[in-house]
Amino acid sequence: MTKHIKKIGNLSRRQVLVGSAAGAGLVIGYSILPHAVDSASKAIAAGNWDHQQYLTMDADGKAYVYVTKCEIGQHVGTALAQAVAEELEINWDDVNVIYPDSHAKWGLMITGGSWSVNWTFDRNSRIGASARIALIEAGAKMLGAAPNNCTAKNSKVISDDGRSVSYKDILSKTTIDRTFSEEEMKSIKLKSFGEYSIVGQSKLPFDLPGKIDGSAVYGSDVFVPNMVYGIPVPNPVRWGAIPQSVDESDAKKIDGYVGSYVEKNGFARINTGYVVAFGETVWAAMNAAKALKIKWDLGENKSVSSEDIRNESVKLQQDPSSGFLWVLEGDTDKAMDNAATKHKAVYETSIAYHGCHEPMNCTAYEKDGIWHLHGGNQWASMAQPTAAAALGVEADKVVCHQYLAGTGFGRRTEPDNFVLAAQCSKHLEGRPVKLLFTREQDMQFDFHRTPTYQVVEGGSEFGRMTAMNHDVVAGWSTKRAAPGFMPDSVDKKGKVDQFSTNGSDHWYDIPNHKVRSINNELSDKALPVGFLRAVAPSWTFWAVESFMDEMAKKAGEDPLAFRIAHLNARGKNAGSPPNSVGGANRLKNALLVAAGRAGYGVKPLGENEGMGIACVSSQERGSPTWTACVAEVKVDPNSGDLTIKKVTVAMDVGTAVNPEGVKKQIEGSTLHGISLALYEDMTMKNGSIEQTNYDTWTPMRLDQAPEVETIIIQNGHYPAGTGEPATTVVAPAIANAIENAVGARVRSIPMTPEKIKSALREA
Amino acid sequence: MTVLTVNGVNQVVDAPGDTRLLWVIREHLRLTGTKFGCGLGLCGACTVHLNGEAVRSCQVEISDAEGAKITTIEGLNGGQGGHPVQQAWLELQVPQCGYCQSGQMMNAAAFLSSNPSPTDSEIVEAQQGNICRCITYNRIKTAIKRASEIMQGA
Ligand code: FES
Ligand code: FES
Repeated sequence: MTKHIKKIGNLSRRQVLVGSAAGAGLVIGYSILPHAVDSASKAIAAGNWDHQQYLTMDADGKAYVYVTKCEIGQHVGTALAQAVAEELEINWDDVNVIYPDSHAKWGLMITGGSWSVNWTFDRNSRIGASARIALIEAGAKMLGAAPNNCTAKNSKVISDDGRSVSYKDILSKTTIDRTFSEEEMKSIKLKSFGEYSIVGQSKLPFDLPGKIDGSAVYGSDVFVPNMVYGIPVPNPVRWGAIPQSVDESDAKKIDGYVGSYVEKNGFARINTGYVVAFGETVWAAMNAAKALKIKWDLGENKSVSSEDIRNESVKLQQDPSSGFLWVLEGDTDKAMDNAATKHKAVYETSIAYHGCHEPMNCTAYEKDGIWHLHGGNQWASMAQPTAAAALGVEADKVVCHQYLAGTGFGRRTEPDNFVLAAQCSKHLEGRPVKLLFTREQDMQFDFHRTPTYQVVEGGSEFGRMTAMNHDVVAGWSTKRAAPGFMPDSVDKKGKVDQFSTNGSDHWYDIPNHKVRSINNELSDKALPVGFLRAVAPSWTFWAVESFMDEMAKKAGEDPLAFRIAHLNARGKNAGSPPNSVGGANRLKNALLVAAGRAGYGVKPLGENEGMGIACVSSQERGSPTWTACVAEVKVDPNSGDLTIKKVTVAMDVGTAVNPEGVKKQIEGSTLHGISLALYEDMTMKNGSIEQTNYDTWTPMRLDQAPEVETIIIQNGHYPAGTGEPATTVVAPAIANAIENAVGARVRSIPMTPEKIKSALREA
Repeated sequence: MTVLTVNGVNQVVDAPGDTRLLWVIREHLRLTGTKFGCGLGLCGACTVHLNGEAVRSCQVEISDAEGAKITTIEGLNGGQGGHPVQQAWLELQVPQCGYCQSGQMMNAAAFLSSNPSPTDSEIVEAQQGNICRCITYNRIKTAIKRASEIMQGA
């Protein structure tokens, strides 16, 4: 975050400037004072300083909070603004949000990993507090009072003798000039849990009204004068095909056909080659995309199937020399030899598709030497330099403009649509291009979730697990998307993709624990794989939490009591502030809450009905959100049909900044987890994804949505991410419930009726 | 040239007669509240009213829509917003990303005008064709019931 801050003279340290240019409002941001400027207000008046501006206030006393995140349905801007407003002591009606364009000064612009609120709550609180302090000082002066005798409340500075001056008056009448050193920023005393009046309130999200009257603007709603439409022609193979020749004769008969962009060299972040059809209207472009006759070289993946990828995983797992260690504690081999009870099982997950309801799109054009890329984007810090590289210009010649996104789920962290739109526009000499993926293009040219293959082996004695061996075989998305982010393996033999393995480093107290992370390169090559909501914990906890149930039953223990016995906040599971403080005790608590509320082991159930539990610490060990689930199911043993009757999810979020927003995230991510676990099958054949639209790929529909009861646990700890964890907890809870209902253990996602029937035959 | 009556306004559209109504509404007339999800009539994101009935505009050719009264989300409740369905949607904070919600509301509004006090199973059946990828289904179900109450003056 700090590496772009240039050192000037001895002013090498970043400060927070709080300054106003007389009557023009207030700017609050991180910067160093520019050379030869000695005050915040002069720097702001000069307007040319390189700063991260997180908050501005206008002369009317209204505040604008800058949100460098993408609205993908999580109402993130509202939660971030609440943190600022709480400390600023401003009337909530005076607060709004702004989503700035991409710029290096913002540091990492990424929306994912449930990081947004977790990473910025403290910073935003301090930004709001610094502005409040400066306003109190200025207001005190106007009142002729000492700042120490003044407080701020409801957009006013109030002296202890009861006189007051509004923020509006302060900002319209005086100049503010204040800098805060990093030490001073750190030492500001923030409010704590229990003292909040805006944090913890379910404020109506800023983005909500426009989504009800139809006025909300998404990336696909962008219009630019003189633009053409670009529709990609689906390649016959997901990755590796190259167009050899294109016959336009039929396309040319289409009224409004503009031409095509044929790329035979490809671009690493898009594909090996591609063709885009252009039309003056979207209809012309769509028809042209179908009319172009293309001869393809199908490339090296032309015969790859889902079975091939799975076979490769099986082979890799059986080879003791594959992979690198992610966890190594104690001696699992010795502990396994000595264990009284042993169990081993294989867990699998299929290819999965993001299925963003708004297909990928981007509108691109060049103006005065700057390339403008418009669209909803979860990782502008990746899209901007990558598009620049493809265009052959410096990164600062590309600007990404942020929009609402019709879901993201991690798909919009990929830069492919932005880069492709830019290339299309360059091909048309800067003429604006609105690139739209059809559903077919979006489904087949996703950066899919890797299929996974995991083997878990455990041993126990006297009701306690003494050993766990866990092999995770998966495609490695980080290796493709951001190899520099990969940490060393614990055996220092190589790098591990933490986003293919995290979650396996769970919080159960098991003295001997080994996790081997194995990269299936065929999956990387043929799919290639990306980041789908919750990423690795969606499969690692599928394995761990299914296995804990199986192991408990094998050891003759109750699955709830068995888990509780292994959740002890000691040693490495003690946790540490701010994120994981409380450690395994918080997970135990969430589990007890969910089990208690749902009536696990207590509620009377009918024939072929069962309840299953699971608990997770998604996303990462350093930023866990303690989440537990009870699923109540009914299975038809003849057809294998599964009915989810109810799911109960308890989540320890520490502090819920916007409780209704948290509740919605839990509801949506729980149901998304069920949809992935039961309905969203996806397969590859001849190097191509077999499903093409919502008829062959069948996500959850309204009649399949069970009741979701959410319990938000707040204890005043630091806010945890809430957009993803519930996605990872439902699948194992359902599998455990199926076993409790009819005695069948399903170990493969999606859990289709066929797989349930076959598990019943084995039971 | 095709003349379409959209939200009470006659619009002259220069597009081939087989162009799907969705694209004319969105890209020619720039009423972007109506969304594209699948193009095959499978998801309901593109739902508008044709003479008061919910249709998938990605499946309607503009030549077949000539002379019909077309209503989009922007024209719901005579263009004033605040249709009981919209009131209920706001009250229950239904949208997450919001992309599917115009289609959901248009579908629900047409359904409620023909069946003002539906049962739970009628709601499920009526709304089954509208996909929501944020999976706000439970709030949608509740909001339809709430809209029905609002329509009855509750
Ligand atoms: S876009 Fe028309 S039904 Fe999906
Ligand atoms: S609210 Fe996002 S798709 Fe329905």
